[in-house]
Amino acid sequence: MVKAYVGIDVGSVSTNIVALDENYEVLFNYYARTNGQPLDAIKAGLEKLKKELGNNINISGVGTTGSGRQLAGVMVGADVIKNEITAHAVATTHYVPDVRTIFEIGGQDSKIILIKDQMVIDFAMNTVCAAGTGSFLDHQAERLGVPIEKFGELALTSTNDVRIAGRCTVFAESDMIAKQQYGFSKADIIKGLCKALVRNYINNLGRGKKLEPPFVFQGGVAANVGIKAAFEEEVGHEVIVPKYHNVMGAIGVALLAKEEVEKKKGRTNFRGFNSLQTDFVPSSFICTGCSNNCEVIKVEMNGTPIAMWGDRCGMWKEKVKRAI
Amino acid sequence: MKIGVPKALLNFYYGPFWETFFEELGMEVVLSEDTNKEIIDAGVRESVPEICVPIKIFIGHVLNLLEKDVDYVFIPRMVSINEGEIFCPKFMGLPDMIRHGLEGLEDKVLTCHIKSESDDISDYSNYLSIGNTLGISKEKIKKAAKVAGEHWKKFRNYNKNGYTALESYNLVYGKGKLKGRNNRKKGIKIGLLGYVYNVYDSFVNMDILNKLKELNVEFITFDMIDEDELRNNIDDMDKVLFWTFSNKLLGAGYKFFRDMEVDGVIHITAFGCGPDSFLGKLLEIESDETQIPFMTLRIDEHTGENHLQTRIEAFVDMLKRKKLKAI
Ligand code: SF4
Ligand code: SF4
Repeated sequence: MVKAYVGIDVGSVSTNIVALDENYEVLFNYYARTNGQPLDAIKAGLEKLKKELGNNINISGVGTTGSGRQLAGVMVGADVIKNEITAHAVATTHYVPDVRTIFEIGGQDSKIILIKDQMVIDFAMNTVCAAGTGSFLDHQAERLGVPIEKFGELALTSTNDVRIAGRCTVFAESDMIAKQQYGFSKADIIKGLCKALVRNYINNLGRGKKLEPPFVFQGGVAANVGIKAAFEEEVGHEVIVPKYHNVMGAIGVALLAKEEVEKKKGRTNFRGFNSLQTDFVPSSFICTGCSNNCEVIKVEMNGTPIAMWGDRCGMWKEKVKRAI
Repeated sequence: MKIGVPKALLNFYYGPFWETFFEELGMEVVLSEDTNKEIIDAGVRESVPEICVPIKIFIGHVLNLLEKDVDYVFIPRMVSINEGEIFCPKFMGLPDMIRHGLEGLEDKVLTCHIKSESDDISDYSNYLSIGNTLGISKEKIKKAAKVAGEHWKKFRNYNKNGYTALESYNLVYGKGKLKGRNNRKKGIKIGLLGYVYNVYDSFVNMDILNKLKELNVEFITFDMIDEDELRNNIDDMDKVLFWTFSNKLLGAGYKFFRDMEVDGVIHITAFGCGPDSFLGKLLEIESDETQIPFMTLRIDEHTGENHLQTRIEAFVDMLKRKKLKAI
């Protein structure tokens, strides 16, 4: 039995789970769509972990991150529950200690994190505009009839520079059709799209920020060599894509869980694989206690509320704490 | 008579003075509510888009007071409290801006020029115009200003003893309790820089003070430091800034960085603030030189949607890790 530390990153688009051993080697690596069912996604991932490694590992620490981190944390009994900025920054600085700029592009959101001396000094997130995210690419790949996996390689074969006006998906699409009619090859157009995405991303998230090397590119989209090349062209510098680029959040929080457990001298809160059988029901309501009208999230276990958050005043959080 | 006092801008610094002053004059003091979403929305609606967020919020507070049927809203013209320096120009034009820019306030703005050599603004001559407007004798103004000044000094003493302005406010009114000092934790300590209306308005800053407490972080703000000490820290500059409170922040910032007594510095600034664009740059340079981490938090009018809390968490998480590794 080896000690393993588990990191769970529950985002709106994907749920990722990793397990690290004592020496930070990745033993297990899971990436699946959340499909609006975070609980099911976590269960499925942990089932798989149990099936593959359950007999060989001893789970010694668990951490959660992502937009569903609170829920996931309650469910598994996490040792740390951390925001995704910290989680990503911790993972990236683990692999590239002197990193200054992190580009992160996932399926439906993207972020930029600026680091100095291993400290987060600034970041920006984009959760509204699709033009700088993976879904933009998915969509265009489909239009062009090119499988998304081939997208990047194809872009690299282009020798022409085509400028696709890509302020938003709608414009990009019409411009792309126009450029196709001019007779540019698919490869050229795809390269143009990659550059448009990177331009959008930098305009949106990098505006007014000084972007310094080393650059690290991670998130689901980092697998796309076309985008990586477009980033390198844009910043005029090499851009590093880490091996486990699409599960960095989960890795970061696994590292944090390890640190946390070591600080507490080896006791984890992990509730065991059996906890997956417990019935958790999340719900939300708008509090009318004052004019702030917070959206409060509530999680019930077998009918009793065990966690609440989202209240600005902390009144609901307190209530649950006292009830337990 | 009901005098409305907006709980915004410098009220977090001079509130105890002004409230006491009007009470001493026998007025009923009506405070605006704590900043909330309605106040911000109303303020944003009624102000020009380019102006800084704290002024927008102030306007929201003025409107809130109008709803409370006050006879006057007190809006002083802050001119100078240090020779050769002024307040940010927005403070100097504030009474005019409100009187001419908002409906229903033409005859309701109660104002006076405040000019002084130090932070102590209790010289009664500052308030004679109020006596004229309200028909109150010079003698009474003199006495009220004196009592108010003493009250304010008590408040400042608490503040300078390490209590936040909010705690000091409660203490001086006999509420809240004294904490055992010297309870220095082994955790981390942050220098929290920002104008009082950015640091102490818990709604606009997403309750940063409590967030820091929750994270077990000790903090120190500029108002906890003696005025002279703030000044000493910028004495070696060829040229200081024009604006007094910006200089106070700069003095505090330099102290934090140079004395190495904090693990990191956070600057809370408001969207649209002119003076802070100078200040922020100076602080950044100092951070580079001293290697003490520095982060800027920008407050805007869309509170709740911004990532203030996450920013603080991420910054503090990394500071804690850094410290842990250093041991
Ligand atoms: S949770 Fe608290 S702050 Fe939010 S609406 Fe209810 S009472 Fe107001
Ligand atoms: S100092 Fe900045 S925030 Fe304060 S009033 Fe002036 S511009 Fe606005």
